Amino acid sequence: MSRVRASLALAAAALGVGLWFALSAPPDVLQGAYSRLLYIHASTLWLAFLAFGVTCFASIAWLIRKRPRWDRLASASVEIGVLFTAIGLVVGMIWGKAVWGIAWDWMDPRLATTAVMFFVYLGYLALRAATDDPVARARRSAILGAIAVVQVPLVYFSVNLFRTLHQTQSIRPDGPTMPDEMVTALLVNVAVFTILYVALLWVRVDLARAEGTKSGVGLVAGEAVKPPRINEVKDV
Amino acid sequence: MTLWSQALEIARVDLQVERRLGDTARIILPFAVVALLVFPLAMGARLAEIRAIGPAVFWSLGILFGMQVALRQSATDSSTRRDVYALIGLDPVARLLGRAMSGGVLLTGFLLVLFLAMVVLYGPELASGSWWVLVVSSLLFAIGLTQLSTLAGEVTAGLRNRAGMASLIIAPLSIPLVIGASQALAAIPGGTGILPWILLMVATDMAMAVVGIGLARPLEEASR
Amino acid sequence: MLRDIDLELAPGSVLGLVGPNGSGKTTLLRLLATLLEPDQGKATILGGRSGTEEVYRARPGIGLIGHTPSLIPELTLEENIEHMARLGGHQPLRGRQALSVVGLEEVMTRRADASSHGMLRRAEVALLLLRRCRLVLLDEATTGLDAEAAGLVGALVERTRESDGGVVMVSHDRSRLDGCDSILTLSEGTVEVSP
Repeated sequence: MSRVRASLALAAAALGVGLWFALSAPPDVLQGAYSRLLYIHASTLWLAFLAFGVTCFASIAWLIRKRPRWDRLASASVEIGVLFTAIGLVVGMIWGKAVWGIAWDWMDPRLATTAVMFFVYLGYLALRAATDDPVARARRSAILGAIAVVQVPLVYFSVNLFRTLHQTQSIRPDGPTMPDEMVTALLVNVAVFTILYVALLWVRVDLARAEGTKSGVGLVAGEAVKPPRINEVKDV
Repeated sequence: MTLWSQALEIARVDLQVERRLGDTARIILPFAVVALLVFPLAMGARLAEIRAIGPAVFWSLGILFGMQVALRQSATDSSTRRDVYALIGLDPVARLLGRAMSGGVLLTGFLLVLFLAMVVLYGPELASGSWWVLVVSSLLFAIGLTQLSTLAGEVTAGLRNRAGMASLIIAPLSIPLVIGASQALAAIPGGTGILPWILLMVATDMAMAVVGIGLARPLEEASR
Repeated sequence: MLRDIDLELAPGSVLGLVGPNGSGKTTLLRLLATLLEPDQGKATILGGRSGTEEVYRARPGIGLIGHTPSLIPELTLEENIEHMARLGGHQPLRGRQALSVVGLEEVMTRRADASSHGMLRRAEVALLLLRRCRLVLLDEATTGLDAEAAGLVGALVERTRESDGGVVMVSHDRSRLDGCDSILTLSEGTVEVSP
């Protein structure tokens, strides 16, 4: 089995484990069964932060070393980060509608800042798609990838900076604010989504490497165009 | 090839090019959704007002960003290509019609996605029966705006700041569409008739179509 | 500005137009293509009088290769030719045949914006071969082409001549017009016939 398939199989198994822990943990007293959505919501957004952090690191590495592998890593990580952010937002909106009665709360800066972060990285992907030259694409993306990460701490600390409807951090230096079973389920799911992130990253980077190889393979310059068949011109 | 066949071929290729470039889905639509976020943030989270202005913000952004969809790069012909199209026998009416059709398809999809985003973010109270009025209004809105944008694009073809110039022409002329669409939706809870507003949009669309067909050839000759 | 242009092109003849930059060669070519109308006088191209509806009937018989390529950048060479073929009422399959004859069969699935200038020119020649135009107008068509591709343009010219069509070739370099039956020199907006 290739390492990509092995990592995907491991991720699938891990998702099963995470699901078991989420379903086994007791429901919240006030939120009921909807509290289980938070394991997905919190995990995906945590991993989005990690993904964008990896992008920042890889972007800076590309700016210093100019190696294509750093560009592949940066862009693959953004794609997964955008996916996780979208999942986190949607799950959060479903949870918010069920528990707060509203899907989107304008009084919650974490929601707004997370949405802004989502669109900035969507812009990163649009920028890459619009740039044909691989080196120019890598350079522009690296600059944006290195700068855009400032949003991550802004999103994370927004619940502390403003008094909002949004829950503050559940796991703090002075101890968690949840029962142990819920903390365990949360931490297991964070680990599960980390495994999923690594597996997806591996797949995507492999694919990017193959795409890069394919575009350079094929006809050698000069072989691409055949001599015209002058004697057949009359027959067209 | 008949006029309709030529128009369909132009529309087909337009959409094929747009699928490869992805300007609408990757750039314009996300930008429009970010604009949806800006209004409430600027208003300071006054929820009742935010709910109330949702539909109005949607139609306003529909015009501003819809223009960008209709004026997208993939719908622009170079002067050399226009010459080849003219020589190959492409009817100028078919070219405009095809552009309007492809723009209409893209714009309708764009408006429906933007509307969903507005509903999620603003949470407006929509009366029952709103959805079919929305679909009809969006379709008429898209047809009218696309026709107007296609004509404005032709008038400004080859100019230095084409996008800005075309937008300057389109924005005021599209006001009947904004009024018709927003008032049709607002008329449902009030119990007043929606028909006058729908007819306003139909009349605007038909006027644009007549102007487009009549001016297709002069516009093509003028662009040389 | 062009003035005092009095020109007639007989069937089966090839006319060269030469002149310095800015002498009006391209303007004259576009007049011949019915894409411009004369301010004074009249032009009759393939039986179509300028300023009348007859021009629209004459246009499908006119082929033009201009300064810049006319292909849609985001489409492949094959898709471009098929698109033009359909619009002109030709069979798309013939478009592929034409691309093959001009030597592009290995790269016809390459996008136009990923193709070289020479490949784009060959594709435009393929389109003219497909259309079988009675009047072929070539504006610096061999500039930037290798000998094989330039030979292809020559074959197009010969085919048009042999089918009693007419060809007008524009170049700023007289040596590229050696095969022409006559050469007109554009100077200060008017023409002089060269032996």
